[in-house]
Amino acid sequence: MDCGTALGKINAKADGHLPREEEAALAGHLAGCSACAAEDAAISAAGPVLRALTGIRAMEKAPALDAMWTRVRAGIEESRETRRRSAWIARWAWIPAIAALAVLALLFYPAGTDRSPFHPSSFDVAVENVESDVATVALVDKGEDLPRVIWIIEDA
Amino acid sequence: MKEREKGGVPDDALIRTTLAGDDGAFGELVERYKGRAFAVAVGIVGDGDDALDVVQDSFIKAYYKLKEFRFGSNFYTWFYRLLVNQAIDRWRKSARSAEVPFDESWLSEDASPPDSFAYPRTPEDLARNRELGDALQCAVDALPEYHRAVIVLREVDGMAYDEIAKVLGCSVGTVMSRLHYARGKLKESLKSHREG
Repeated sequence: MDCGTALGKINAKADGHLPREEEAALAGHLAGCSACAAEDAAISAAGPVLRALTGIRAMEKAPALDAMWTRVRAGIEESRETRRRSAWIARWAWIPAIAALAVLALLFYPAGTDRSPFHPSSFDVAVENVESDVATVALVDKGEDLPRVIWIIEDA
Repeated sequence: MKEREKGGVPDDALIRTTLAGDDGAFGELVERYKGRAFAVAVGIVGDGDDALDVVQDSFIKAYYKLKEFRFGSNFYTWFYRLLVNQAIDRWRKSARSAEVPFDESWLSEDASPPDSFAYPRTPEDLARNRELGDALQCAVDALPEYHRAVIVLREVDGMAYDEIAKVLGCSVGTVMSRLHYARGKLKESLKSHREG
C-alpha cells in the first residue's frame, strides 16, 4: 500500500467508513510508515481531544450547570411576565390611539362654519377604568358652563 | 433515543405533562439534557459562561415552543436545532473569532509538557498540556460555524450523521463533507503542535 492510498483509508477510518477487512492492510502500512502513522494518530485524536476540551469547560462550570433548572425556571417566569405585560399593552393599545385621533379631530375641526355642532374652547380627554375589564375614552368639552361629554367610546 | 430515557419517564410523556401545566416535568427534561447541551454549546461558542447562557436560553425557548413539538419525533433532535442556532447566533454576536478564549484557571502551576507524543484523551490529561488545548481551540474557532457545529455534534455528542443532518437541516452528504473538512483542520492543528 502506498502513502496516498493509506491517507485515503485513514480518512475513511476516521469517518467510520473503512471496511473491517481493509483495516488490517492499513495497520500494516502504518506500522512501517511514521509519516502516515502520525497522520493517523492526529486524525484519531481530534475527537478525543475535543471531548477533553469540552470536558474541562464542563468541570469549570459544574456548579452553574447543577443550577440550570433554577436558572431556566427563573427565565421562564420572567419571560411569562414580559409576555403578560405585552398582551396587556396589546389589549389596551387602542386607547392612546383613539385619544390622539380625538384630539386631532378637534384641532382640525372647521371652526367658524355652521357645520360644526359646537366649538369647544377647551377640552379634556379622559381615559378611565383601564385596570378593569372595561375601559372608556371620553372627550369632554370643559366649556363655560357645565362640562359636556362630546364623545365617548367604551370597550369591554 | 430510548437509551437516553432509560430508567425514566419517556420524553414524550414529560412533554405532554409539561403542556398540561406541570413545569416540573420540563425540569426533568432540563436535567436529562443539560450536560450534553452544555458540551455542544461550549464546543460551538468556546466560552463556558456564554455556553451556560445559550443552554438556558435554548431551554426557555423550547418551553415556549413546546406546543410546536411533533410527537413521534425525537425531543433532543428538535431541541438541538434550537440549541445549535442559539449557539451560532451567540457566536456571531460575540464575534470572538479574533481572539482565543481559553481559561487558564484549569491549569495547575506545576503543569508540565507531555512525556510523550501521545495525544491527551481526558480533561485531566489535556489540562496538563495547555499549548495543545490552545492550539485545538484556535483550530475550532477558525472553522466556519456550521462546520464547527457538525464536528461538535459528531465528536462531542456522538450523534449519527442522519441525526446531525436533521438538526442542521441539511443533507447527510453535506454533513459528511463538513465533517471531513473540520476533522482535517483539527488534525492539521494537532499535527503541527506535535511537530512544532
